[in-house]
Amino acid sequence: MTSENQPIAAMDSLLQASKVNIIPNQEYLLQGSILDVQVQRLLHRLKGLCDNVETAPEQFHDYEACFSLRNIADEQAIHTAPLLLRVRRSNDPADSHMPWQLRYVGNPELGDTKRPTLVRSCFDISCSPSIMEFLTEMGCRLEFEYTVRGYLFRKGRMKITVSKIFRPMNQEPLSGSYLVELSLLAPVGADAVAEDMRVFAEKLKPLVILEKIDHRRIAPN
Amino acid sequence: MGVTILVPYPLDNKKTGPEVVEELSKRLLAMQATQTGHFLVDGDVFESSFNKTKIHVMHNSEYPASVFSILDNGQKQIPLITDLIFDLLMLKVNPIYASRKQLKIESKGPRFELGDFLVKLGSVTMSQSQTFKGLLIEVDYRPCLIPIICWELIREFLQGFLGQYSPTTIPVYFTNSVPNPHHPVPYQKSNDTYQPIDTVQQYLEHFNNYRKQTIALMMGPNK
Repeated sequence: MTSENQPIAAMDSLLQASKVNIIPNQEYLLQGSILDVQVQRLLHRLKGLCDNVETAPEQFHDYEACFSLRNIADEQAIHTAPLLLRVRRSNDPADSHMPWQLRYVGNPELGDTKRPTLVRSCFDISCSPSIMEFLTEMGCRLEFEYTVRGYLFRKGRMKITVSKIFRPMNQEPLSGSYLVELSLLAPVGADAVAEDMRVFAEKLKPLVILEKIDHRRIAPN
Repeated sequence: MGVTILVPYPLDNKKTGPEVVEELSKRLLAMQATQTGHFLVDGDVFESSFNKTKIHVMHNSEYPASVFSILDNGQKQIPLITDLIFDLLMLKVNPIYASRKQLKIESKGPRFELGDFLVKLGSVTMSQSQTFKGLLIEVDYRPCLIPIICWELIREFLQGFLGQYSPTTIPVYFTNSVPNPHHPVPYQKSNDTYQPIDTVQQYLEHFNNYRKQTIALMMGPNK
């Protein structure tokens, strides 16, 4: 900022950045799962394929809560899908100074069968720990919560996580499998990255089959 | 970062806002201050469609990568500090929380550095019509983090260039009792470590006063 320059309002600069597509607000995602007994083989495979070979896989232990926000004033809007917001923080005491993460995830675009990955709009926002109270007072309802432990790998801009989900109260595992996710955050129009993800997913076959998963089909209701 | 004190500058009918800003700028330059650009603090209000909850979303050019939000449900205020992308999320939350564009308010003007002090002369304007509302003077004493320790020094400094208009007591924001989540006895902000959100909360108090004045004027004296 020079003395001649007036600061631009934050909202204006953000909308400008949004207009020229430099904000990474699209998540490209492939998901799959692997049985506990086979997970070591997958970790070895990923260690060989990914960037962080020397540092070995990064481990994480997170807590995540999912909140929903509905427009209760509008009767018609009650039947539409609520806005979902996810709050995530690390359970590791060494990360206690790290910001919490607030995540908005939009509806997935699955329609285009030629597209190799699921694409959904997504905002990842670092925030202060007051976010839980803030969302509750905003009128958000806590839908579910869980803890997740696992390993994180990187390959270029791609993020690969192999993680296990636990109930937060008693740390009981939810299933006998690990969830495998291959994801990438990119600005609108960066569809070429989806092809790189498809190629990478091919390399993990037949240990794990990463696919586009329609979450609406597996939802309880 | 240090301790920031925000004081409104009373305007009489003799001089306009820009004239006062120019006069104070000259005074600061005569005190060997250097102008280091401009600053901007702005505040938007989002109001719930089903209750009285308000979310104040504010930005401070001193912290250009952050958004400061304060949720006010009438009984308590919950501050939240986030990345800039939070602004895009607030657009998604519409119409559950709708933006009250006519209550948008901002304070902007020149920024000066003078030794350990930072002085900002803010002209407050409201809504898209940019109606002038008043002047807010921000003084930041950077080497200290506990308000009560450096208040006397800031007061003396303010007296040096505001003269009769300088405040004699620390702003009420610092002396109000705040409930302590870790202890039954409430504490005062004046004894606590100063944080960037404290600057934003001081601005919010003054912004809300300007908003109330405007709403009162719009409603007329009979209502």
